[in-house]
Amino acid sequence: MIEEFIKRIKQSRSYKKQIVHIEKLPAHSVNFGELEKPLPESLQKVLLNRKIQLYSHQAQAINEARRGKNIVITTPTASGKTLSFNIPVLEALANHEKATALYIYPTKALSNDQLKVLKELEKESGIKADANIYDGDTPQHQRANIRENSRIILTNPYGLHQYLPWHYKWRVFLQNLRFIVIDEAHVYRGVFGSNVAMVIRRLLRICNRYHANPQIILSSATIANPEEHAKRLTGKNFTVISEDGSPRGKKAFVFWNPPLTNSTNNNNLRRSTHQETKDLLTYSVLQNLQTLCFTTSRQMAELITRWTKEELTKRSKPIDVVTAYRAGYLPQERRDIENRLKNKKLIGVVSTNALELGIDIGSLDSVIISGYPGTVISTWQQAGRAGRSNSESLVTLVAYQNPLDQYFMKHPIDFFGRPHEQAIIDLHNQYITLGHIMCAASELPINDEQDKQFFPELLSESIQALEQKKLVKKTPRGWVYSGTARTTEVVSLENIPGKTVTVLCNEKLLETLPLNKAYEEAHAGAVLLHQGETYLCESLDIDKLIAKVKQKNVDYYTETLKDVDVTISKIYKENDIGTKIGLGELSITEIYHTYLTKTHDEILKKTPLELPPLTFSTVGLWFIIPNKVKEEIESQGLDFYGGLHAVEHGMIAMSPIFAMCDRWDIGGLSTPLHPNTGEPTIFIYDGFEGGIGISETLHSKMKLLWEKTLELIENCECKEGCPSCIYSPKCGNENEPLDKKAASNILKELLKLCTTSE
Amino acid sequence: MSIIYVCRKCKKSYSKTEYAQSKSCMSCGSFLLPTFNKKAPCLSNSPVEIQGVERAHKEEENVLFRVAEGLRERIERSKDYEIVSEKEHDTQKPPSVFESWIWRSEYDEALKFEKQMLKQYRDKTLEETFPGKVISNEQGECYEISSSCCSNFKNIVYEECRQILISDLKVLSGIGPVSEQLLKKQGYKTVEDLKCHSRLGKQAQNYIKLIDTKEVVSTQKWLWQRFPKSHPMLHYLAGFCQDHFAIIDIETLGLSERPIILLGVAKPTRDHICINQFLLRDIPDEPSAIWALIAQIDPKLSLITYNGKSFDVPYIKQRLAYYGIDAYVGNPNFDVLHFTRRALKPKLADCRLETVEKYLGIKRDINIPGALVPHFYDTYLRTKNVGPLVPIVEHNKQDLLTLGTLFSKLYEEWQ
Repeated sequence: MIEEFIKRIKQSRSYKKQIVHIEKLPAHSVNFGELEKPLPESLQKVLLNRKIQLYSHQAQAINEARRGKNIVITTPTASGKTLSFNIPVLEALANHEKATALYIYPTKALSNDQLKVLKELEKESGIKADANIYDGDTPQHQRANIRENSRIILTNPYGLHQYLPWHYKWRVFLQNLRFIVIDEAHVYRGVFGSNVAMVIRRLLRICNRYHANPQIILSSATIANPEEHAKRLTGKNFTVISEDGSPRGKKAFVFWNPPLTNSTNNNNLRRSTHQETKDLLTYSVLQNLQTLCFTTSRQMAELITRWTKEELTKRSKPIDVVTAYRAGYLPQERRDIENRLKNKKLIGVVSTNALELGIDIGSLDSVIISGYPGTVISTWQQAGRAGRSNSESLVTLVAYQNPLDQYFMKHPIDFFGRPHEQAIIDLHNQYITLGHIMCAASELPINDEQDKQFFPELLSESIQALEQKKLVKKTPRGWVYSGTARTTEVVSLENIPGKTVTVLCNEKLLETLPLNKAYEEAHAGAVLLHQGETYLCESLDIDKLIAKVKQKNVDYYTETLKDVDVTISKIYKENDIGTKIGLGELSITEIYHTYLTKTHDEILKKTPLELPPLTFSTVGLWFIIPNKVKEEIESQGLDFYGGLHAVEHGMIAMSPIFAMCDRWDIGGLSTPLHPNTGEPTIFIYDGFEGGIGISETLHSKMKLLWEKTLELIENCECKEGCPSCIYSPKCGNENEPLDKKAASNILKELLKLCTTSE
Repeated sequence: MSIIYVCRKCKKSYSKTEYAQSKSCMSCGSFLLPTFNKKAPCLSNSPVEIQGVERAHKEEENVLFRVAEGLRERIERSKDYEIVSEKEHDTQKPPSVFESWIWRSEYDEALKFEKQMLKQYRDKTLEETFPGKVISNEQGECYEISSSCCSNFKNIVYEECRQILISDLKVLSGIGPVSEQLLKKQGYKTVEDLKCHSRLGKQAQNYIKLIDTKEVVSTQKWLWQRFPKSHPMLHYLAGFCQDHFAIIDIETLGLSERPIILLGVAKPTRDHICINQFLLRDIPDEPSAIWALIAQIDPKLSLITYNGKSFDVPYIKQRLAYYGIDAYVGNPNFDVLHFTRRALKPKLADCRLETVEKYLGIKRDINIPGALVPHFYDTYLRTKNVGPLVPIVEHNKQDLLTLGTLFSKLYEEWQ
């Protein structure tokens, strides 16, 4: 079927050799496993009814869990991970009538999805656990009942963070806690992951108070370091289960590069990725190939849906088989789409990465990835949505024009040999640790000796700092929180929870979106897309945080242009290590100055925007590239600015090695002349309001960072830069300009200056 | 040497002020790039010092201290209450959107008052200010302030209470207003009359048994099944308790998860009301003060509270769990807030105790808005000047007394 499909595409009139590579991923035959001892009858019955024979990894997971081991399961999407942890949990609940289990999911949508799965299992097995969700959406009057009666509770880290101080209300649940299940654990990486790791430690500390010692089960997408990650996230030792025993059909992975246009003035211009995606999706729908298309933005999810519907209308085909799916939709809308996808009423769904996580939508025939999603982990997660056990499936990666995507189009083999990224968690981050130790002090008094087991790093130093600021008080029972605000309100797990804009259409709630997204999609004059419908935004009230829209059919869409400004507002440190480097408080200003009106990727008009700039303050480092270096580079005929830009990207790429962060946690700016320093300057800053400790670490290792970056660039075999060295997946300037040679020369010059000054 | 901004496209230049206004080129809308208005003169090894930017002081070089300072600032900004300006809001209709709020004028006045207190009590000790003593119990030490007042506390007698509780036939499940009318016509005036009723007899017997044993908690549960928590029947139920009451009210550093700083209990007798307040001289006194309060509330006593079901009692339980102290507060609780809402909400702008007092004609000599208690206590902790404690202790005491009065007065509202 798939081969036939590809053949037909290649034969079609509009085919212009877009397929640059087809990687044939072989089928994978089934491998069953044996349990060491039989399951209780209630669960055996379930497996029998569902005609399930356990795969080897499922059996292994159950065996290990029954031995009391903490396990981390990393088999691919749709390999039956859920069942392999639900079975041991339900078994424990069946054997001990009071036993409880806590499931932690990264999103509310996932909890909702998994609740259904658990309820079905309860019903079929007859094991009564009264599984329930307890999160921000749980009505107040149901809460006590859930805490007291449900033996399986599903929540998310944000909720947990808020509920921990109320542990006495959870006493019975916690006293009997047997299992903590953390699903999609790969999501907990970088700064967010480090925060969640602290929440888990706070949870375990409270469990300890109630004499509970729960076993932990993690499930994760494939990452480079599952065992280490699990240990860092929870502080416990784990057994890894990674050998997949589930069967897979053959999968074709197609690299699709939009064709060069014939325009005369720019012979390097390719046809729009979005148009190519739209054509591919239309074709898939016409061929009745159930397809999920991933885009890199909410807006593109909506636009591709809309354009596909237009194409289908032209051919007089029904259009209700295609829809968009993304964050911001109301839960009921999402539920409905998931169901229609599962029962095949929908043939094409265009989604943001909202569907990347394990929401059960069944498996599809085909996945289109419109633009490289930035990480190997995500690409494989998205690709994993295609593929049934016995039939063939198709994955198509449609490249963007940008150098990163184009690199993969030129070197497809490189992609398939690329290791999955590491999930990094920093347990030495002073910003994160201090905040959570303060939270812990508001949950139970802190005892320096006993609590070392939960906070082995920075405990006494943090307490000292908190005491000095009068936030904790020494008492005979330990350190007691004595501040005047709720700790969990002051400490947040992600970036400071931003403001949320409510979008109203005829006084009715259409959706909600973060303020910075509203700047992009819901300013006056903007076209907001919702479920493929166009809404014209009439006003955006920044004070009241309300955007008013009217439904109106327009054939254009809008895009904003922004400018980022960095100014130094306070200097913490200034050193001269051959050149000046500094650390301080930075003010990052984003100015949304213009919006473009476009139709099918063509700019119709530019309109100035009047919106107050968005500013946030953070901690960052900077260093100056002396003018004589600039002259030297320019005298070599190289692009100095391209070099600076490339150095910035290279340094950001290397930062996770030093600062234990995710590259998405850092921002950068390079400028040939900065108003504060009056010199060519590169800034690297924490992408978090108030800073998060990354820049401090990097600042203290500046020379080492330059050395590693130079090594990275020099050792990379590419000629003009590639994703392995200076291409950034999140560059605001489309990775332009970049000059690899200039970058390595700038770094050499900087290191030379360091040596002379020593 | 000064900085100018040059358009990337049309090369037009702008001054710093013009740049601040528009941020983009006025003729073509492109970005502006910062540059010098003449060729950069300094090509030497040492670049210019960064000027016009504040430098951090010594302590800020320690990251943990800097982070702690950032947290402290955020804590100060994040208040449990909202200060509402009278100018922007109709004073008759308070901004119910805010969970907790005070008027701007109240706030300003309170701060002025705080200053005055600090001055007045500059050299006073705790003992001089509040007649009382340091007490010690198995959880440590705290400061006890005892006083007593004349009481106008009134409760209904058991007989009256019993009469009311059995006169409403709707207490039985399956009986609504229509069937009640019907039964009354048939001669069933009270639940007692129904004891031999073929269908309702068993239920009626159980109910009467409950009432005759004067079981407050079980009867309360029974009535909750049938009526809203604010129903007068649940107030009349207090007739079970004669004068076995403990009125309690706590002052805290916030709406949850922070220390309780003062716990007050008032016990009405025939003509007096005895008040005990347990004050934290500092945070370490908290377990002892809570313990002292619990020792005061014998399980036989019923509590009278204002929003105590959702605030005071859970708060005390949370703090007990915080310290890992094993104690149980299971007393029956008459939460007067529910009754007040039912009886007075139509007549009052809001149901804050201060507002209710005005309605009852009670005047306070010294008062601060309850929301500002944490601020005042924090000032005491910082300065060790007992001045700011005076209005807190007084506020708490007045709340206890008002609560007693309100409890008694509400009976009149039901008639």
